[in-house]
Amino acid sequence: MAYIGKQPTIGNFVKLDTITTSATATYNLTNGGVAFSPQSPNHCIVSLNGVIQSPTTSFTISGSTIVFASALTASDVIDFILVLGDVLNIGTPSDNTVSLAKLTATGTKDATTFLRGDNTFATAGATAGQVIQVVQATDSTARTTTSNTFVDASSTLTVNITPSSASNKILVILMLCGFGADTQNTNARATVFRGATDISPSNGFADNNIVSGGSYYVGAGNSVLDTPNTTSSITYQFKMQNSGGGNTARVNNGGFSSLTCLEIKG
Amino acid sequence: MKIYICTAILAIKKDAQVSCSGEDINTLEWHDGNPTNITNQQILAKQSELQALEDVISKRIKEYGSIAEQIEFITENGLDAWQSKVQAIKNKYPKENN
Repeated sequence: MAYIGKQPTIGNFVKLDTITTSATATYNLTNGGVAFSPQSPNHCIVSLNGVIQSPTTSFTISGSTIVFASALTASDVIDFILVLGDVLNIGTPSDNTVSLAKLTATGTKDATTFLRGDNTFATAGATAGQVIQVVQATDSTARTTTSNTFVDASSTLTVNITPSSASNKILVILMLCGFGADTQNTNARATVFRGATDISPSNGFADNNIVSGGSYYVGAGNSVLDTPNTTSSITYQFKMQNSGGGNTARVNNGGFSSLTCLEIKG
Repeated sequence: MKIYICTAILAIKKDAQVSCSGEDINTLEWHDGNPTNITNQQILAKQSELQALEDVISKRIKEYGSIAEQIEFITENGLDAWQSKVQAIKNKYPKENN
């Protein structure tokens, strides 16, 4: 139902304490023994001797007193004074007094949700496919090896990452600069290990076999979307080899390389 | 062309399994345990030897000229003249053991 005039923000409906009449027109208004000041006569319903009194004409309100149009007598009876709503200014709520139940926001209110600007509780954190964290290592020192099995060759391309969920994936990106073998027709091969496991599908992340012409050393790189299935800290480590043996594989022959790991929400 | 430490090691032992960082002899990591006990001094000596040889070869190649220049010389002066020129270049830049 619509209001005429200003709509009260908060209603405060109070039946005031009983008043004993005497030969006077003015009486103190109390509620529970405490002085009470209605906003105006129009906020009050006053019954005197079984008759509802007209606000303003039959009585007025002055602070915490009611003033009747004429003096009463001891035989008069004020049946009740009912204050129908008092416009209140609630001001600034005290700390830790507004609970979630007071909010009109829709959606589930729990430890996994947050309140959005559109007054809706939504799931907190990343959704599937979004990046949760990024960890990167770089190395600019020239590394060489003659090993025909994968070795780290003291490379600093090592990334430690702890997935926040076992269902999340790790996007492993290896970018190499100046990578190759010192001699034509020999293979330099690079890969990334998770612990003791080579995570490349086959032949490493990069396999450089310069048959003839051009530079022996090239920029190379690849990426693998790994599924570690753990929430424990895991280590990704660059490794390389000269797959044929008897020759040298080299990386960072001018420039630097990087190993970047992105945790992706599963 | 620079002769790298690993190149020198492979010249000493062709199946050596070793890694090196920053071309620093003190960073060598032997993956095969260095069964023949190759020393750093041996490696550096071999590197110097190979580098000297590489430098000689590079100088000779530079004086030989491109393939096109060599063919032009032979066409204009004959094969004997070319062989004489090659020998002169070799005498100018001799290998230590040649």
